[in-house]
Amino acid sequence: MVPRRPPSVLESESGAPELLLRDRRLLDDLFSLTYEELRRLAASVRRHDPSATLSPTALVNEAWIKLASSPPPGTISRLHFKRIAARAMRQVLVEAARRRNARKRGSGAALVTLDDGTDAAAAGADDVLALDAALDELAQLNPRQATMVESRFFGGLDVSETAELLGISEATVLRDWRAARAWLARQLRTPG
Amino acid sequence: MDQARWERIQALFHAAAELPDRERRPFLERRCADDPALVTEVLSLVEEDARPMLLDSGVAPAARRLLDDRAAPTARFGPYRITRMLGEGGMGVVYLAEREDLGSIAAIKILRDAWLSPARRERFAAEQRTLARLVHPSIAQLYDADTLADGTPWFVMEYVEGAPLTEHCAAHACSIPERLRLFRAACEAVQHAHRHLVIHRDLKPSNILVKEDGSLKLLDFGIAKQLESGDAPVDQTRTGLRLMTPAYAAPEQIRAGRAGTYTDIYSLGVVLYELLAGRLPFDLSDKTPAEAATTIAEQEPLRPSAMAAAVAERTGGNAWSRAVGRGAWADLDVLCLTAMHKDPQRRYRTVEALMRDVDHYLNGEPLEARPDSVRYRVGKFVRRNRGPVVAAATTLAVVITLVVFYTLRLTSARNAAVAEAARTQRIQRFMLNLFEGGDEAAGPADTLRVVTVVDRGAQEARTLSAEPAVQAELYGTLGGIYQKLGSFARADTLLRAALDQRRRLYGASHPDVAASLIALGMLRDGQAEYDSAERLVRDGLAMSQRMLRPGDPAVARATASLGQVLEDRGAYDMAIPALEEAARLQSLPGGDRADLAATLTELANSHFYAGHYAGSDSLNRRVLTMDRQLYGERHPHVADDLINLGAVQFEWGHFPAAERYDRAALEIIRTFYGPNHPETASALTILGRALVSQNRYEEAAVMLRDALTIQERVYGPVHPRVASALNELGRVAQEQGKLDEAEADFRRMADIYRALYHDRHYLIGIALSNLSGVYQERKQYARAEALMRDVVRRYAEVLAPDHTLMGVARVRLGRTLMLQQRYGDAAVESLAGYQILMKQSNAPARWLRTARTDLAEAYDATKQPEQAKRFRAELVSASAGAGGATR
Repeated sequence: MVPRRPPSVLESESGAPELLLRDRRLLDDLFSLTYEELRRLAASVRRHDPSATLSPTALVNEAWIKLASSPPPGTISRLHFKRIAARAMRQVLVEAARRRNARKRGSGAALVTLDDGTDAAAAGADDVLALDAALDELAQLNPRQATMVESRFFGGLDVSETAELLGISEATVLRDWRAARAWLARQLRTPG
Repeated sequence: MDQARWERIQALFHAAAELPDRERRPFLERRCADDPALVTEVLSLVEEDARPMLLDSGVAPAARRLLDDRAAPTARFGPYRITRMLGEGGMGVVYLAEREDLGSIAAIKILRDAWLSPARRERFAAEQRTLARLVHPSIAQLYDADTLADGTPWFVMEYVEGAPLTEHCAAHACSIPERLRLFRAACEAVQHAHRHLVIHRDLKPSNILVKEDGSLKLLDFGIAKQLESGDAPVDQTRTGLRLMTPAYAAPEQIRAGRAGTYTDIYSLGVVLYELLAGRLPFDLSDKTPAEAATTIAEQEPLRPSAMAAAVAERTGGNAWSRAVGRGAWADLDVLCLTAMHKDPQRRYRTVEALMRDVDHYLNGEPLEARPDSVRYRVGKFVRRNRGPVVAAATTLAVVITLVVFYTLRLTSARNAAVAEAARTQRIQRFMLNLFEGGDEAAGPADTLRVVTVVDRGAQEARTLSAEPAVQAELYGTLGGIYQKLGSFARADTLLRAALDQRRRLYGASHPDVAASLIALGMLRDGQAEYDSAERLVRDGLAMSQRMLRPGDPAVARATASLGQVLEDRGAYDMAIPALEEAARLQSLPGGDRADLAATLTELANSHFYAGHYAGSDSLNRRVLTMDRQLYGERHPHVADDLINLGAVQFEWGHFPAAERYDRAALEIIRTFYGPNHPETASALTILGRALVSQNRYEEAAVMLRDALTIQERVYGPVHPRVASALNELGRVAQEQGKLDEAEADFRRMADIYRALYHDRHYLIGIALSNLSGVYQERKQYARAEALMRDVVRRYAEVLAPDHTLMGVARVRLGRTLMLQQRYGDAAVESLAGYQILMKQSNAPARWLRTARTDLAEAYDATKQPEQAKRFRAELVSASAGAGGATR
């Protein structure tokens, strides 16, 4: 595993549209876009699991905090923004997972369980951390595929958006995705 | 593995995946003879390809598992033990806790996932500091704060068990005064925070809890902003990282992220709206954040009264809202909509000011807030539509100045009609020049006429059917503009539409309906349909007086409108008391100084037409002082006052003094509008008139021709202002003996008025009268007579039988008959004219003299020496009494 680079909104993505920053007002536009995107995510959470209690607001806040504490972004396309939201989401989840695992391994304080569901959360934490590590490795082999997986999985970009973001055809997206998916699956099963 | 190997693996993977299971291994072994490890590698990938994996389910389940964490990091926080979760917000989770040693309960807020970012930790700490410095009975108190061993910060605060403000009011069916008292208590808490330089930024009913005992607590300073000092930063504080609650957020907060005390005032306004109307001003439930932001920034809310009525209709409930009278609702509407004005500058400046008006309302006193003026609304409309309206920025500036200025000066167009009541030909000319056509704000040169702009505005207004109140407002405003532009038919359509719309919205009796009636009345006034005008304005005034407090500016304005209609129809003895009453109302504390100045101008004009020049002069001087204070030394209003002062000097025969005023006015106007502006043209015309009177015809002609050129270019060839300039030029030409020129000028003038007023307006009569004067000088008496007969017929159709103009016309007709030695006929006309003129409080001396001279001569010719003697005697005594007052 290679050292993680600090996230930066201004980091150039291959094939991704990149514009320079203009002013902080754009943060608000970004905000409303994040909100829409993450609401969509949250809604999909509810669709997949009617008993889910995840509040979309919490998601939005976490992602937004990530974005807002990054350097001020420039004028940015919606697509590029989605890309950034995906990055933010990955980071939120990875850090939450790390934190949870740290707590699980024992920081002294007993966990107070006010309702159930924490076991599942602990399992999810391992998955997310493993995926994160595998994605870092994939980025070494093929940065475009890593970006693709990050965007589609964490940001919810669809195939055509991904194609546009990366400047490749949809067929190429599907092809790259399939290989990356298989590779990641194997990494998760047998890390290293 | 390296990149090249990964490329090769992928190629093999895709090829193998296409093959039937049993063919894969042989295929791979064939292709990977150089690197047998690749075979297992690729086969393992193909295997994974067929299996489900984490990526397939999307991020949502993982996010839910990781983020939806209700576990508290520990059960014990200092002396407190948590018992249950109360809720979670963007910034943290709040638990109910018991203090074991004392048995008291409290709320503990912890920052979950404090590791996530330093900014979050900083904000959590800021909330804690904020609470620590705010000690107020209506603000939940901070008790304790610390950090857990793992770094999780927490603080303990007063636990408030209560219902959100709106729910409390609904559950207890609170009356409006009860609601307002609770609202006031919330304001006090916010005011306390503001005094300690804290902006709450998330005011909403769920943060304002009413306890069982009726006391109120303001909660959640989670995104409150600490101001650095008392003044400057209030304006430009960014909202920062947290979600606001859009329904209560101010437009500038949503759009630009700005927050200050004024954003809190807006949110309080929305809370008040909800308390009064039983609904939020905007339904944002189905809107995306971007749509919500647009709605909040651009859509005008229904008035709370209208919303309450709509809610009551739908639910049959709202007993509390029906207990409020219409007049009281009008105040509540103003109060609430001032607090939640879209323009921060127009909100209450402080929470104290808002509270003062709440108190005023509760005590039955007049509010300090004023509803938006038409001027403001038009300005806003123009600003909002600047894109489609103009091509170039400079053009735009001109249009805005013009349209706004033009609505500012509703006073002026109406003065066109004033000419009708003029006593002398000079006054007629003066009025024509000065006021004809109003301030219609010509379009920027040839490219884009204001009419086009207004047409587009009207077009756009028609699409606003979802917002009938705004639509009615715009119809009204645009109708007023069309009126000034002389498009009476279009003005009529729009003003009627506004009236109908408002009747549908508010019922037959409502302050807005009254305003529409008055606007329509003023249109009739402009069309010289005085009976209808007076009836409409009187209805509107009576309705305003019924529905509004006597001190309401709308009542004063309605009174002034009546004064104006009376003035325009020549009933100065009635106009003057009405205008004096309007001025009295507007002089009361809190009265609108600008309205007062406009009313006093009108009063000065009434005195002027009634011949009370000294009274007019002193009023004009007073208005000049006011306008200089209101607008500064070099404002067009000040120029207008100078022109009015000059007019009095002119009437007194002090032509050099008049010229000085007129030159000063011209200078201001030319600087303000530029050399090629219609206002400049007007001022040139007026100065030209003063020069004509000093027999400086050549100088005057230059100015008048300049004026005409500007007006033709700006307004096109057919316009009242062009007609007015032609009238003056015609007169100069006539004085210079250039009778052909004079004839052409007066003819064109008459044609323009005919085209504009469908051949039915007293102004056509004035033009024809002047033309008749040219024929007379040419000794074409029969032609002159025929024209004057036409004039008399026209006046009979549109004017009262004893109108001054009619008197003058019959005297003139008499003169054309005299010149044809038809003494009998002449005596009939001259006498009729003379009798009409004698009824006027200030008969125009020149025409009276003409009448007497002609009558004396006619009676001599028809052998009635007694009659002749009588008029000769009158001539002598009149000239002795009048001195040099006539020319």
